[in-house]
Amino acid sequence: MSDFSLICRNLFRRKLRAFLMIVSILIAFLIFGVLAAFERSLNRGEDDAAADRLVTVNKVNFTQPMPIAYYNRVRGVAGVRQVTYANWFGGYYQDPKNILVVFAVDPTSYLDVFSNEIAVTPDAREAFVRERTSALVGETMATKWGWKIGDRVPIASNIFSQKSGARSWDFTIAGIFTNKTPQFSTNLMLFHHDYFNETRTFGKDTIGWMVLQTTSPAANDRVAKTIDAMFANSSDETSTDTEKAFNRAFAAQLGNIALIVVLVVGAAFATILMIVGNTMVMTVRERTREIGVLKALGFPRGRILRLVLGESVVLALLGGLVGMALAVLAIWAMRPGLAQFGARMAMTPGILFFAIGLMLALGILTGTVPAINAMRLNIAESLGRS
Amino acid sequence: MGPFFRQLIAVTIINVKSIPQRFWLSLSTVVAITLVVVVLLSFLAMANGFRRTIAGSGADDVAIILRGGSQSEINSTVSRDQVRLIEDSPGILRNTEGKPVVSAELYLTVDGVKRSSGTKANLPLRGIGQAGLAARKHVDIVAGRMFNAGANELVVGKGLLSEFEGFEIGKTVTFGTTRWTIVGVFEAAGSVFESEIWADLPVVQSLFKRTNFFQTVRARLQNPGTLAALKAYVDGDPRLKLDVKSEAEYFAEQAAQTTDLIQKLGWPLAIAMAFGALAGALNTMYSSVAARAVEIATLRAIGFGAFPAFVGTLIESLILAAAGGTIGAVTTFLLFDGFTASTLGASFTQVVFSFKLSPALIAQGIGLALAVGVIGGLFPAIRAARMPIVSGLYG
Repeated sequence: MSDFSLICRNLFRRKLRAFLMIVSILIAFLIFGVLAAFERSLNRGEDDAAADRLVTVNKVNFTQPMPIAYYNRVRGVAGVRQVTYANWFGGYYQDPKNILVVFAVDPTSYLDVFSNEIAVTPDAREAFVRERTSALVGETMATKWGWKIGDRVPIASNIFSQKSGARSWDFTIAGIFTNKTPQFSTNLMLFHHDYFNETRTFGKDTIGWMVLQTTSPAANDRVAKTIDAMFANSSDETSTDTEKAFNRAFAAQLGNIALIVVLVVGAAFATILMIVGNTMVMTVRERTREIGVLKALGFPRGRILRLVLGESVVLALLGGLVGMALAVLAIWAMRPGLAQFGARMAMTPGILFFAIGLMLALGILTGTVPAINAMRLNIAESLGRS
Repeated sequence: MGPFFRQLIAVTIINVKSIPQRFWLSLSTVVAITLVVVVLLSFLAMANGFRRTIAGSGADDVAIILRGGSQSEINSTVSRDQVRLIEDSPGILRNTEGKPVVSAELYLTVDGVKRSSGTKANLPLRGIGQAGLAARKHVDIVAGRMFNAGANELVVGKGLLSEFEGFEIGKTVTFGTTRWTIVGVFEAAGSVFESEIWADLPVVQSLFKRTNFFQTVRARLQNPGTLAALKAYVDGDPRLKLDVKSEAEYFAEQAAQTTDLIQKLGWPLAIAMAFGALAGALNTMYSSVAARAVEIATLRAIGFGAFPAFVGTLIESLILAAAGGTIGAVTTFLLFDGFTASTLGASFTQVVFSFKLSPALIAQGIGLALAVGVIGGLFPAIRAARMPIVSGLYG
């Protein structure tokens, strides 16, 4: 009988107990998997951010507008490869509760700057750029509302009105885009800023933010300083940051999600550490006589140690891997519900590797004390004990 | 009945006295249940605190008027002509001079630095008119003074002052190119207004290039019943494509979304953890029954019934669960009750709120703990009751 099968036999000797321990470990890893993916999705912008992208917003706050003329001035700054701009539209479909993420953008430059994220066919791109009243819709949004290319959809704004008095704009769907990185949300609609600018009642010739690509990440700092200095002391000063820093600050507005996740996961792991640790100590104590027999048969101390430690590690891996598999299912099930927040949860390799590390740590932590106890057992005493 | 009860009590006492023999295992069950209750109650206290702050902000006899479909103050726009029309509406309270108590306001977002994270966050800057204070109840300047008309002066809410840097009285803050001096701090009965910065409306309008631009209108009603008259008036005028709500209704809607989200996170988490704790409790109680096999069999042999053995085990489990639940509730109270935090509210600006436990929430926490205790004790208790006497005696 190999050591591994001995470990498995030992583990499942009391099936109910093994099952209960696996369930408690499984739940801790399920919680860890889902929360870690949730936290990552909130901070996804930070991971996603291209190193050579900067974001320029009004210094007062990113919700304040700035003149559209800034676009051409920023375009001329040395070290800027390309720039685009966008405006928040505050869109909704049919009912104010059906909030849509809609940006009014400059079509060509927007698709260029986000060419590593947005995948769009040449035909769709051409149609979108050509037709002023068209919109480009992300796959998630198009699927959710059942929109197809060529559909004419009325999108209302909870902020802006048309000069005609209407609160909604009619867009023809020119194309549907997908994403090139799984974290980029396709719950998004883009339409022409020109068209928006001409028809809206207020805020004419202003934009919400600019996204620019520098010639290299090394130029970021200099470019950011040049831009902000250019508009210093004007009526609309700017604040330029890397996309990463901007996204991080944005996520931090919700609160310290990372801390909450750490606390909850910590509580879940403290629980199983105690339960599994104590149970392992008890299990080994019950087996005192057996371990004495093994020793009497000539099993070396190291092997005894490995047997007990192996049992706790196998237990942690069994519970942990099943838990992570359930977490993947849970994330998949939760995705539609969270899509409206723009968060796209995904199990990343990073989370998975960290989880496996946690499983090993848990197995070793809970097995060490009983394994050492078993290793140090005195043969005569253990055989005498009942 | 007498002897039966004495049996119950005797067996229960034996069970309880045997807990120290499985001290670490029992303790781990108590701690597991404690942690479940702490997680549940801290989420519920967060949701409750947030809801109280927002929902407590609204008055029944104040109407809030927004652009139709705009959902929150930040999105809304109302023109000067519309404000004038609203002032003529029936149902609005008039002051001693006969003027309607109507406050047209501007609601802008500016940056402030959060103390806890050191990062920039959205703060609401509200330009309020002369009627701004009259249209609200329970607002008091608690330090310094009110801003002067026409001056670049700010008063800040107490909550905002505690969570964000640089808003102490006498300091100046810069929004873009304009400099403002903080001259006072106000309290507003713990409501969402305490997370705001207030300044004189015309000054904000001119410095932010929003002349003749308003976002919301607040009107003090003669009584809550006259809201209907105001609504009918606004609906009847085609120039007024506006939504009219009581302030209480508006804030209740604002609170609902975030509160729901927090509760939707808290309950599943706590229930998942409760399953983990349940596995621990079952394990502990099965061990308890196994360890006392001889004892239980002996009791049965000298004439004790199966039912007392069942009840004894169940009560042991419930005692562990009740201990965990109580410690969890006390821990949450000590650690989190009154803990202040801030998050983004529906208007996309920071709302400062405090975690708030309530007896109803504590009852929910302890209820969950006892549920773990009942289920965790039930199956082992059945095993104890069914244990065959003869084989039990041999251990």
